[in-house]
Amino acid sequence: MASRSFTVAAPPAFRSVGRSLLLTLPMALWSLLMFTPTFQHGGRNLRIAAALVIVFMTGLFYLMMRSGETYRWRRIFFVAVGFLFPVGFIAALIAERGTMSIPIERMVAGQTPYCFMVTPTILLPAAFTRTVVFPGSILPTASNPHSIAVMIGVWFAMTLVLGKAWCSYACFFGGIEEGFAAAPKRPKAWRLVRRLGPTLRLAPWAILIFVVAASAAIFEPVYCMWLCPFKAVTEYPAVHSAQTAIQMVIFISLFVGLVIVLPFLTKKRTQCAFFCPFGAFQSLFNKVNLFEIRFDRNKCVDCTLCQTACPTVALSAESIREGKTLLNCMKCGACVDSCKKNAAVWHLKGTEVAVKPERARLLFLYGAWAMATMFGGSILAGSMAAMLHWLPGM
Amino acid sequence: MRKGIVAGLAYAGAALTLLIAACVPFVLIGTFTNLVAHAGLHVDTAYTGGSVARTIERKGYEIVIYQPVRPRALQRIETFQQIVFKPAAALPVQVSEEIDLDGDGKPDVKVIFAVPADPRTPLRGDVVALSGKYQSLKNASGESFSRLMVRVNDEVVVRVPLNEVPGTR
Repeated sequence: MASRSFTVAAPPAFRSVGRSLLLTLPMALWSLLMFTPTFQHGGRNLRIAAALVIVFMTGLFYLMMRSGETYRWRRIFFVAVGFLFPVGFIAALIAERGTMSIPIERMVAGQTPYCFMVTPTILLPAAFTRTVVFPGSILPTASNPHSIAVMIGVWFAMTLVLGKAWCSYACFFGGIEEGFAAAPKRPKAWRLVRRLGPTLRLAPWAILIFVVAASAAIFEPVYCMWLCPFKAVTEYPAVHSAQTAIQMVIFISLFVGLVIVLPFLTKKRTQCAFFCPFGAFQSLFNKVNLFEIRFDRNKCVDCTLCQTACPTVALSAESIREGKTLLNCMKCGACVDSCKKNAAVWHLKGTEVAVKPERARLLFLYGAWAMATMFGGSILAGSMAAMLHWLPGM
Repeated sequence: MRKGIVAGLAYAGAALTLLIAACVPFVLIGTFTNLVAHAGLHVDTAYTGGSVARTIERKGYEIVIYQPVRPRALQRIETFQQIVFKPAAALPVQVSEEIDLDGDGKPDVKVIFAVPADPRTPLRGDVVALSGKYQSLKNASGESFSRLMVRVNDEVVVRVPLNEVPGTR
């Protein structure tokens, strides 16, 4: 009589240790290269933080290679950036001006750091009048290194590589809601998402059209001035009038509602899925990016696990039947990792679906993780250095 | 055959994407930054104050007078004219200046403010309109982009709203 074992065997590793290490090596070298200037010129805290970030980023990439999973490890990086970016940013603001609010004299002096979220709203005035409706400076200055030209340069260069994947590998805000969405085990308001999701996923497009048109009409960055939830954790106009008080209430309400409460209840990135006009704008770049997620209809059993897993409601029953995602897919890999039948696959446009999905995943991940290390990694290092500064004796 | 060519092009595209990724921090960010910088863009005059009209020299400091800035389309600012006193460090403790803003030889406004010793102390002051073309400001500080008296680095920036009915200029 055969004895019965109660030990649960661990799932087999996707790749051997040696092969995973070999595949991780280019990314380890890239990380070292990215932080070489920090080691040469940075202070002690920044050097320590940079070393930790190199280990962190390389370690996560190794785990992606070893396990074959993308979403879980990417999420750790992304949530870390989301939660640490405000820490570093606010610490810098407090050190420099003692408050998170931006006084009007700084706007007049062009010292507002440019945020990539403003980009769609400045396009029309810039195209027709060559005027940028943002209180920053075009060229970098000592008091504002995050100038309009620099930040647009960074965004556009990275968008060439990432496309809409910007929203899951580069956006320094999305990680906050992804963190809150990850907290509960099960969604408490899944029915709500099921019922309203298909309609609400059009909302970012409506908001995009509204903010672009309104910004062109009143020559103000309307999203930035009135609708950005992340003002609550970065900087906001100093409250000195009824208007600025109303703006502040809107920022905090949107942040609490869309970035904390709803992600917690629905396990979705609700701000990204149902509100963010920049995300809608970034979706347009999915058309020109070579990488995508596809569904092998021969394997798909329409279990909808992928639909449940998708954090931005970028899948519908129809799109799965067609073997595609919707335009707002940000290539986070949640659907691929959740699919029990290996029907959801990474895909390089122009090649056959599901023939060499791992090759497509690797090609995508090398580019995406390189950008994540360069951009998100430097944010992590800066914020960690600020935190180290607060430690006694550092 | 055709599928093979398309797949080959796809892999070439993927390789190009990786090459672009490798170039992003070393070449592309700088290239795109320069492109934007040389695209002839400028920040909206509601923030910058517009272009300089003329400069009045005083003992140790100067008063820079800007062209009037008018709202575009439905922009929510009043027509204003910017005056900059610089350097702030060279200004007398109490400034009281009658200034000709429109260049007709007659003073248009009287600007009165005290320069705080600590640059971080908020600045407050008055603008008294001497001609019907301009509006007075009482106890002005950083109210709005068109009604302003603030210290910006080593300058004191004053913005005086004009009595201008939209569309009548």
